[in-house]
Amino acid sequence: MDAYTEAVVIRLGIAILLALGYWITAATGKFSFGHAAFMAIGAYTAAILTVNFEWSLATSMLISGLTAAVAGAFIGWIALRLSILYLAIITFAFAEIVKILLDSWDYVGGASGLFGMRGTTVELVAMCIGVVIVYLFFLARSRKGLSYEAIREDEQAARACGLGVTGISVEAFAVSAAITGVAGALSAHETLIITPSQFGAPQSLLIILFVVLGGVQYFWGAIVGAVVLTMLPIWFDFLDNYYQITYGLLFVVLMILRPQGIIGRSTERRFNLGALKKLASSRNGAGRDG
Amino acid sequence: MADLQMRALDITKHFQGVAALTDVTLEVERGSIHGVVGPNGAGKTTLLNVMSGFLSPSQGVVELDGRDITRLTPQKRVPLGLTRTFQNLRLFGGLTVRENVLLGQHSHARTGFLSLWPLRTAGDKELDCEADHALESFGLTEYRSRPAATLPYGLQKQLEIARAVSAKPRLLLMDEPAAGMTAQERLDLVPRIRSLRDEGLTVVIVEHDMDVIATVCDVVTVLNFGRSLIEGTPADALSSAEVRTAYLGT
Repeated sequence: MDAYTEAVVIRLGIAILLALGYWITAATGKFSFGHAAFMAIGAYTAAILTVNFEWSLATSMLISGLTAAVAGAFIGWIALRLSILYLAIITFAFAEIVKILLDSWDYVGGASGLFGMRGTTVELVAMCIGVVIVYLFFLARSRKGLSYEAIREDEQAARACGLGVTGISVEAFAVSAAITGVAGALSAHETLIITPSQFGAPQSLLIILFVVLGGVQYFWGAIVGAVVLTMLPIWFDFLDNYYQITYGLLFVVLMILRPQGIIGRSTERRFNLGALKKLASSRNGAGRDG
Repeated sequence: MADLQMRALDITKHFQGVAALTDVTLEVERGSIHGVVGPNGAGKTTLLNVMSGFLSPSQGVVELDGRDITRLTPQKRVPLGLTRTFQNLRLFGGLTVRENVLLGQHSHARTGFLSLWPLRTAGDKELDCEADHALESFGLTEYRSRPAATLPYGLQKQLEIARAVSAKPRLLLMDEPAAGMTAQERLDLVPRIRSLRDEGLTVVIVEHDMDVIATVCDVVTVLNFGRSLIEGTPADALSSAEVRTAYLGT
């Protein structure tokens, strides 16, 4: 494998890991708008351990996962008992705060960041994905996974069934944060340098898009979303300046045609052509409907 | 002395200054089928929400088996043997019929922290058997793998009862079980509720439909404008002058 292919494969792998991690909280219907913060926590924890303390990458990754999980549990415990709107605001604010703190923390280089991390290999990334997929394979078949789906479907009904909605969501959120933290650690040791600005809102949004594009119903939908969104910029390289417009347009069309994502069954038909027609006719009908 | 299983004592509930319930007391005897009736807006569903924990009362106490449960969340009341159904069906529409029943068993399933065992189809034989049994006794076996939302309305109502019963409650709160049912389904509902009682359940029914109440209930409490008007046997309660006035307005 030449260096370029290896770099692409590792980037792809990290994107898949991020998507799978996010999928776990999305499976409970809770959408975080600040997952880049957990990535940052994982990345910085691992970088400090490998660079300043010369720990092995594998051990540092484990600690990264744990640190991110603790942060995730804390934020989840505060925000998951509130409505999803508050969850969005709190997670978004949390990510900004983490970024600002890192920016002003001299120990980790402030805004100029940390550098000198390396060691991420294709094997290491593949192993992490393997572990997460095995976990999700059983989660999707377990009663616990079922309780996630129940909370996503109808929280009141879930409470009536005796499900501790907040506790279950917090657990899912913490596991999600842990995987995201590990992905952050891998990413830090691939890019050689990390700065707080890498972990801003665009990164959080990208992670959400992986899952929304792929579909939340099955975890492999998230994989498809991550692959598509990572490869598109590479494939559409020739579009140059028009790339982002094309990209945005593709997204809008897809969300109209398949709101459930690329993967996932819908109770309605496979492609929601009716929505297109409605959209086309809405301009004429708008005045009359008032 | 009567064997009280559940008691809602002097319940008052305000919604932004509007009193939905005022000093309502409901005493449910063990093994009885207790009806709560009243015209629209009488506070029936509010009372049921207070009893099941979905609303906390502005004043008053809710007791189950002598224990004060006023401040417990709905999910903490389920393991104590209290479950409910909803007026406008709250099924997990995208999940299969069997999965809905499995979720009803949640308080009995041992799903520990971070543990992925048991699976949906294995790992707890006893619960799996009970789920299959529940599906069968509610006539849902042939639909077990279908998404709940694709079932006809009557079967969805059956499924919701099946799901609630799967928690093995000792007291079941039913919010308008007959609403939206066909005449035939209403007729089938009566023996269904009786058989639940014969299996040892206490049933509280909030209902608009007088026929169902009159046939199946042992005791009826009539509410009007958030106050309790009268309590007694269906015959006595429904023929009283006050109740006629409340319903017919004359």
